[in-house]
Amino acid sequence: MEQVQEKQRTEEFDASEIEYVIYGGEHHLPLIMNLVDQELSEPYSIFTYRYFVYLWPQLSFMAFHKGKCVGTVVCKMGDHRDSKFRGYIAMLVVIKPYRGRGIATELVTRSIQVMMESGCEEVTLEAEVTNKGALALYGRLGFIRAKRLFRYYLNGVDAFRLKLLFPQPEELHPFLPMMADRDDTQNHDDHSPREEFLLKSILFSEVVCKFSSLV
Amino acid sequence: MDRHALHQPSSSSSSIPATANTVWTDASPLLEVACKDLRDGELIHVDNFNLYAAMSALEIMDPKMDSGIVNRYCSVDEAIEDGVAPVPISTDKTTDVQCMIDIMDHLLTCEATWHKGHSLAQTVFSCAYLLRPERTSSHALLHSYCKVIRATCKAVITVVSDARTHEEEDLFTMAYGLPLSGDGDEKCLSLLNAVEENISRQLRACKAPSSKRKPLEDIEPLQTNFDLEEGYCKALLCRLRFRKHFFHVLTCMRRPQGRGLELARKHIASCISELGVILKSAEFLMSNAHGTCEDATEDRTTASGHQAIGFDASLNSRISAPTPPRSIKILSWKKAIEYFEKLLHDLDIICSYPLDPSLEVLLRFVAQFQKAQPDLVARAHLQLLLVQDGKLYGKCPMFSLIIRAARLPEVFLHHDIQKNEYVVQLGQLVINMLKILCTNAAWQRRKLGKILQDWRVIYVQIELAFRKDFGEGSSISNGDNASARILKHILIWVDEQTYWISHRFLILGFELELYSPSEYCMVYWYLYVVLIRLAEKTHLKMTVSDGSAKQKGKKRKDSPKELARDAKIPPAISFLQCQICLAEGLTVLLAALRNELMVLQSPSPFNSEHERFIQHFELLQKACIPDNISYPSFKESTSYARFSTLAMYNYFKDAQKIAKEARSGFSNDPDRLAELRVLEQVAEHNSIALNVICGVGALDPSLKVSFEFIHHPCFATVVVKRS
Repeated sequence: MEQVQEKQRTEEFDASEIEYVIYGGEHHLPLIMNLVDQELSEPYSIFTYRYFVYLWPQLSFMAFHKGKCVGTVVCKMGDHRDSKFRGYIAMLVVIKPYRGRGIATELVTRSIQVMMESGCEEVTLEAEVTNKGALALYGRLGFIRAKRLFRYYLNGVDAFRLKLLFPQPEELHPFLPMMADRDDTQNHDDHSPREEFLLKSILFSEVVCKFSSLV
Repeated sequence: MDRHALHQPSSSSSSIPATANTVWTDASPLLEVACKDLRDGELIHVDNFNLYAAMSALEIMDPKMDSGIVNRYCSVDEAIEDGVAPVPISTDKTTDVQCMIDIMDHLLTCEATWHKGHSLAQTVFSCAYLLRPERTSSHALLHSYCKVIRATCKAVITVVSDARTHEEEDLFTMAYGLPLSGDGDEKCLSLLNAVEENISRQLRACKAPSSKRKPLEDIEPLQTNFDLEEGYCKALLCRLRFRKHFFHVLTCMRRPQGRGLELARKHIASCISELGVILKSAEFLMSNAHGTCEDATEDRTTASGHQAIGFDASLNSRISAPTPPRSIKILSWKKAIEYFEKLLHDLDIICSYPLDPSLEVLLRFVAQFQKAQPDLVARAHLQLLLVQDGKLYGKCPMFSLIIRAARLPEVFLHHDIQKNEYVVQLGQLVINMLKILCTNAAWQRRKLGKILQDWRVIYVQIELAFRKDFGEGSSISNGDNASARILKHILIWVDEQTYWISHRFLILGFELELYSPSEYCMVYWYLYVVLIRLAEKTHLKMTVSDGSAKQKGKKRKDSPKELARDAKIPPAISFLQCQICLAEGLTVLLAALRNELMVLQSPSPFNSEHERFIQHFELLQKACIPDNISYPSFKESTSYARFSTLAMYNYFKDAQKIAKEARSGFSNDPDRLAELRVLEQVAEHNSIALNVICGVGALDPSLKVSFEFIHHPCFATVVVKRS
């Protein structure tokens, strides 16, 4: 998904004035949605937000300054394909006047800390290759650029898949697993937003039925 | 539910009738009751409602998500009824011609935008004229042009979908519900030729001196303003001819076994020259544009600067389900022409490739071709040329390619061992690798990393088969029957090829900007280790094949001349050695900077360099490339690096020397000669930089050392500055 863009003009405030709050319920949802809708280009439905904050409330944090919500992080964790237990940072936003003061780092550090304590082996996320601020932020936290995803975002920009591996218990000997599937070039690896849109149309009829219960 | 149904006034007009067992009922009251029971935030969902499903949910009437939302028009027909795409475009013949040229130009920009990754529905087929093929039949010029556009799109889609290298570019081939094959589009060229011929005659007529004009008077001029006749005829002709030649290029390149490549090159040359004429026509078209020029800036999508008639990107929003409804930016006319120039240039490189039967030459060609970052259409053409019907260029069986790659004599080309299941599998691996090498760099690197395992496994399998067939005692080195000899050579080559893939995997990481400066040290160290093995394997392959050839030929082995030749390092090895020195030099320099200046280290709160090492080289490590290499070996070989050692032993000087000497070996290989020069430049530059660092005193705090890729894409140039 998407990550915070780099700083512009700054607001005068003291770091101690920023209050960090864990997701506490439905009343926080509009605050998170507002921030993300304002700052990020991809449209997310209410289902997407609720999917994250209802299943992993312990991984979502908000930053407040004098009662105003100025930043948020939304995450998940679960088993990945190859059965690795993995954390995922879905959205990270700090509004422009508050950037460059470590708020994003603090938010994301809190989530990663919980992920590590919950037994995650690694944490991943995607960021635009042009988003130097986010790349530097995650680089400082120990993330590597594991892959480049060609034209990942709908605006045609490539993404990096960033990964943070937590220290593992003693490494096992490398081994040779059985040969991968023959027609290797045909395997879809990472789902792209385009597939998501493909799926959007397929799932359309199902969702329409669910829609009325949420308005 | 059908998306269109949403916008129909009532459900009674539903196209699905009730049957004997089903009946339509209004579910609204039931849903209302259900809603009352639900509290805020609750959701009725099935068990498999996951992130994927949540992300895929649509919010109706949200213009960011609901592509079924009514835009200006409900349907193409409604738009046409409203006069969006009149035929003729104008009753005034001059205006009609001007508008026609604008349509041609805008279609070209749409086509380039499509090739660059946007959907066909939102680009080329945003043209209402294309969507209703029958409507244009009374307008020969428009009709023929629309036909050739549709036929071209169809041909391009076929190439890309046949190549199947477009995983991450899958929007390209989506054409649901678009009229890609109009009636008689396959004969588009004959109609186009007739129209072209007619305009050529009009051009001749208007250029003829007035005394001679009489016999030609039966020709009706293109439009009514005589002063503009020549300019408009020429502007149309170059555009028509470009389409004609481009269509020929596409068909010639698809001929089996590369038989049409030579002819394709002629058409490519014609295309490029017509593009030049099209560009030049802009001046005339701008100065005579009809009405006011709305957009004469660099962003304009037509030569005249006038907006083209008949386009509306929202026309297809409902039939193109996967297309997000947001608007896209169409390339400018100038950028579109640049795109086609690049595409044609890339296609020309493919067509001029002599279909060399040697894998080594082929791999170098593909790597060189990819350096220019060709787009999808060119890459798909290359892939289809390389692999047709499971054979190289559609004619060489994979086994013969392997025999040559393993440097075995041609007498083995038809040996029965080609039926061995592992040899067949190996052939499949080669095909797979060739296809992967034609994909975009991002996808390519991921796939190359994954197939390394396959290459390792096939090595083990062939080796096991060898031992089984020729007995445990028969070491690989003394197989004396033909099968044993073939397998022995193949094994050596498989090993070398595996290192070639690993090397490419590592260097693509630079191109894709996957490494950060704090990781350069371990990357160059790994690259150095892989390069050494690659050089070893290549050398072994050469020695073994030379050895066999000599034994076979029973030549005099002691001739001093031959000994001298043996002692000389083959150019291919020198080429690798030069890179080995550069990689080693950079590793040691980076390590010394870290050890002595404490820079380029990146302490992180959650993990250490060890974890980053594991992540970057996971796929190589899993495939044991190379054996017994791990993070501790990296630490061991770099933790004692100091500037004092570097001052005594300057690796860059060695690299420079080797590069100089190796030049003569590549006198007829301009690409490698060019790369060698670049390597030499990097070596020379870094050698000086190293002297500066050691001379000034490495511990001078004002010294700033950075690594930049100004000469070579993967060997950094060391830049030293005083702050």
